[in-house]
Amino acid sequence: MPVMQSEPINNLKNNKIMNILETKNLHKIYDESTVPVHAVNGIDLTIKKGEFTAIVGPSGSGKTTLLNMIGGLDKPTQGEILVNGVKINDLSPRKLTDFRLKNIGFVFQAYNLIPVLTAKENVEFIMHLQGRPKQERDQRTINLLKAVGLGERIDARPNKLSGGQQQRVAVSRAIASKPQFVLADEPTANLDSKSTENLLEMMEQLNREEEITFIFSTHDQRVVKKARRVITVDDGKIVSDETKNP
Amino acid sequence: MLAAITIGLFAGVFSTGFYKGMADMRVESGIKTEVSHIQIHETDYTLNNEIKLFMPKTNEMVDNINTFPGVEGASRRIKAECFFKTAHGTRGVKIIGVEPDREKKVTDIYEFITEGDYLDGDHRIPRILVGQSLGDKLKLKIGSKIPVDLVDIHGNFSSRLYKVGGFFKTTNTGFDERNVFVTFDDLKKQLDLPDDAAHEIAIYLNKNTELDTTYHKIEKAYPNLDVQTWRDISKELALVNDSMDEYMYIFVIIIMLALCFGIINTMLMVVMERTKELGMLMAIGMHRIRVFFMIILESVFLSLSGGIMGIAIGYAVIRYFEKTPIKLTIFQGFEQYGYASEVYTNLPFSTLISMAVLVFVLGIISAIYPAWKAIRLNASDAIRTD
Repeated sequence: MPVMQSEPINNLKNNKIMNILETKNLHKIYDESTVPVHAVNGIDLTIKKGEFTAIVGPSGSGKTTLLNMIGGLDKPTQGEILVNGVKINDLSPRKLTDFRLKNIGFVFQAYNLIPVLTAKENVEFIMHLQGRPKQERDQRTINLLKAVGLGERIDARPNKLSGGQQQRVAVSRAIASKPQFVLADEPTANLDSKSTENLLEMMEQLNREEEITFIFSTHDQRVVKKARRVITVDDGKIVSDETKNP
Repeated sequence: MLAAITIGLFAGVFSTGFYKGMADMRVESGIKTEVSHIQIHETDYTLNNEIKLFMPKTNEMVDNINTFPGVEGASRRIKAECFFKTAHGTRGVKIIGVEPDREKKVTDIYEFITEGDYLDGDHRIPRILVGQSLGDKLKLKIGSKIPVDLVDIHGNFSSRLYKVGGFFKTTNTGFDERNVFVTFDDLKKQLDLPDDAAHEIAIYLNKNTELDTTYHKIEKAYPNLDVQTWRDISKELALVNDSMDEYMYIFVIIIMLALCFGIINTMLMVVMERTKELGMLMAIGMHRIRVFFMIILESVFLSLSGGIMGIAIGYAVIRYFEKTPIKLTIFQGFEQYGYASEVYTNLPFSTLISMAVLVFVLGIISAIYPAWKAIRLNASDAIRTD
C-alpha cells in the first residue's frame, strides 16, 4: 500500500512533552439525580506519542464514554484530561471545539462521511474548517487519499464506495487536520474481514511511518491483535494494561 | 418542499393579481359606467334625491367645467324615481335623463348596448334604454311601449309612454336592473323642470390621479353647490378600492404563514435526518454558530429558489392574463355585485419584489427554531443516532 510521503502528520515534532494524553482520576456518572451509573470510575491513563493502543472491554464497560471524554465530546464528572499538557475539561465549549479541530482526529464506526461530498471534499472539509489555503488543502487531500489507496476514487461520493473504502476516507479525514492523536470508535465494526485487514494495515503503516498516535475502542480481536498496547476496561475501571513487545 | 413552495408562491401571486385585477376593474367600471369621477348637485340633493332640488343654469356650468384642466367631459343629468308598468310586472326604477352626446364623454353605457340603439335621434314616442336583465324579467322587446309613472316637481302624478329603444348590459347586473335611461329633454318635460335645470352634473377626468386637484378647483368655483368625488358618492366602490390592499396583505400573510410552517417542518426533518452528520460536524470541530448558519442558509436557499420560481411563474401567468381575460361567466353571481365576468389580472411589480423579500426573511425566521434544535444536539449522542 502506498504511504503518503508528504510532511509529517503530527505537530509534536519539536514538542518535548511525550505524554500526549493523560487522564487523572477520571469519573463519569450518568443520571446523577436518579439512579447514578458510574460509566467511568477513576481511570488514570497515559498515552505516549506514536502509540497504537486498543481499549477493549465488554459492552457497557465504559470504553466509549472514556473515548468521548478523551475526545472532548463529553465532560467528566470528576478528574482531569490533559492533552499535550492542556487541561481540556476546563475549556469553554467554543475553545473545546477549536481544540478538537486542531488536535484530535475522529474515526467513527459508521464512517459518518457527508453523503453529498466526494471523497476529496470530505477529506478537505476539515482543513477548510481550519482555514488552510486551498493549495495546501488540495495537495494534502490528494496525498492522503493516495496513501490510503484511494487515489483513483477521489471524486467518488460515499455511496459509490465500499464500506472499507469509506472508512479509509474517514481515516484520511481524521489525519488531514494533523491531529495529536486519532480516536477510532469501533472502526472495523461494519467491515468484512478483508476490509478490516486492509484498514488495519494502513493505519499501522501510518502509525509506524508517520508516528500518528491511534487509540481504538473495539471489540474486534483483529484490532486487538494488531495493537501494541491493549487496555482492558470493565465496570468503568482499567482492569489490565498490556504493552506487547515489538 | 421546493415544489410546495413554488406552487404556494405561484398560487399567492396569481390569486393576488387576480383579486387586484378584479377590484381594479370594479372600481374602473364603477367610475366609467355608474358614477364618474366627480358629481355636482344642489346642496342637500343627495340626502333624499328630492327632485325639487335642481341646479339652474347648468348648461353654462357644463361648458365652464369642460374648460378645467384634466376634465375629459361633463354632462348634465335629471334623475327621478318612477314606476314601470308592463304586462309582466311593475318595477320601481331610477329614470335618468341624459344628454346623449355629452354623456358619451362621461359614461360608457353606449358601449354596452346589446340590442337596439343608444338614445340618438328624435322620435315621436320618446325612447327608453333598459337594462338587459330588467328587460328579460319584464319580457320586453325593442319597440315595447312602457308607461312610466312618476311625480313631477309640482307634486302631480305624471304618466308618459316610452318605447324601448335599446337594451344595455354592463358588468353590474344590479345597476342594470335599477336604472333606465331617457333623453334629458324628455325627462325634463315629464318632470316639468325649468329650462337649463338639472339634478346632477357628472364629470369624467383624464386620470384618476388628478381627482383631488380637479375636485378642489371645482369646489372652489361652485362653493354653494355640493361637489363630491366618486369616493363620497359610492362608498362601496371606495371600500373595494381601500380594502383590496388590506385583503391582499391578509392573503399574503396567510400564504406566508403556511410557507413558514412548511419550511419549519422541512428544516426540522432535515435536522432529524441529518442528526448523525451534524453530530460528526460538531465533533470534528465545526462551531455551533457555523452549524446554526448552515441550517439558516440552507433554508434561505430552499425558500428563495422555490419562492423565486413560484413568483416568476406567477408573474408570467399574470402578464398573460393582463391581456387575455379570465372568463367567469359560469359564476353569474359576480355580476350581481358589480364585478365583471371577465377579469384581467393586475399586480404591481413592487408587490412581487415585496413578496420575494418576504420569502427571504421568512426563510431566515422559519429556520431559526430548527437551527436552534440542531445546535442543541449533543455531538457524542448525535453520532450514534441510527
